[in-house]
Amino acid sequence: MGIFEVVSIGIVSAVLVLLLKDSQPAIAYLIIVLTVLYFLIFTIHYVKEILQLVTYLGEEAKIQSFYIKTILQIIGISYIAEIGSNIVKDAGLESVAYKIELIGKIFILILAIPIFQSLIETIIHLFPIS
Amino acid sequence: MKWIGALLVILTCFFTGMDYSRRLAQRPKALRLWKNALLILEAEMVYSHATVQNACENIAKQIGDPLSGFFLSVSKRLQYEKTDLYLIWEEEVDQFWTRAALSKEDKEIIKQFGKTLGQHDIIQQKKYIQLAIVHLENKHKESIEMNQRYGKVSGSLGLLSGVFIALLLL
Amino acid sequence: MVGDTSILFQIAGIGIVVAMIHTVLKQMGKEEFAQFVSLVGFIIVLLFVINSISDLFEQIRAVFFFRG
Repeated sequence: MGIFEVVSIGIVSAVLVLLLKDSQPAIAYLIIVLTVLYFLIFTIHYVKEILQLVTYLGEEAKIQSFYIKTILQIIGISYIAEIGSNIVKDAGLESVAYKIELIGKIFILILAIPIFQSLIETIIHLFPIS
Repeated sequence: MKWIGALLVILTCFFTGMDYSRRLAQRPKALRLWKNALLILEAEMVYSHATVQNACENIAKQIGDPLSGFFLSVSKRLQYEKTDLYLIWEEEVDQFWTRAALSKEDKEIIKQFGKTLGQHDIIQQKKYIQLAIVHLENKHKESIEMNQRYGKVSGSLGLLSGVFIALLLL
Repeated sequence: MVGDTSILFQIAGIGIVVAMIHTVLKQMGKEEFAQFVSLVGFIIVLLFVINSISDLFEQIRAVFFFRG
């Protein structure tokens, strides 16, 4: 069971951070970052399986692989933006964290434009205006 | 295997630190011994008008262990060799310093003093001995201060740096 | 499996040792050396963390952007 490992590593790293906080705050912060990164590396394997399921379903349902790929990229960007903004937020730089989230949202929007376009085109084809 | 290596690294650094702190602790003692030896030399030369060779022999009898060997060999070589006093003195000082916990400056003081030995009349000689003693006194105070400042922490510093290196290599 | 978590303890050990060296050097009156030791310790730990970050990003790229 992975959850026990995650919880125990979290507790251990919390204790280590408490130990180092007042003498070496920079190294304590790096321990926090390292713990977060370990958790994410741990999770990414499970996410991989879920995504394989999603792509399989998409192929079975005859959806164009372009759409699936775009959705996966959007999920990836949101994950990375979340990680980055959380790490920066831990260091106390809230404003930088918000900027990272904002830039992530903008990139997601840019990736979503082709899908949105095709959606609008489909709607226009369904209801011819002129 | 990994742990044995880590232990070796830690122990090596620890003993290096301990050795450094031991040298720091021994330097004031050695300097005091030298000062005593020069005081005896002054008494021998000024008051009992002994030759350098006799004076060295007498000092060797009265002074503590590491220095007595030095003065004994100086007096022996003066007795049997026909070279300059200063040459013998310098060679013996060089040999003595390989084992002593003293710095290069201390060595220079003693060497400079050896140059004046036996070159002047008694009044001048007394002045030179006094000068060397004053120099040694200054060095003694300085070494005591150094020992108080760095003596205790250098051992723990060695241990900590050993642990640091071991952690890096682990 | 979470991989090799001993690095967490290693970094914590480095941090503790660096903090102790810092205090000892400060006690000796060598402030500039103490500062320098802290900096070196921080940089070493930073190297570990950067390795880990690049590892994570590689994996995310492999999972989400498999053709980009």
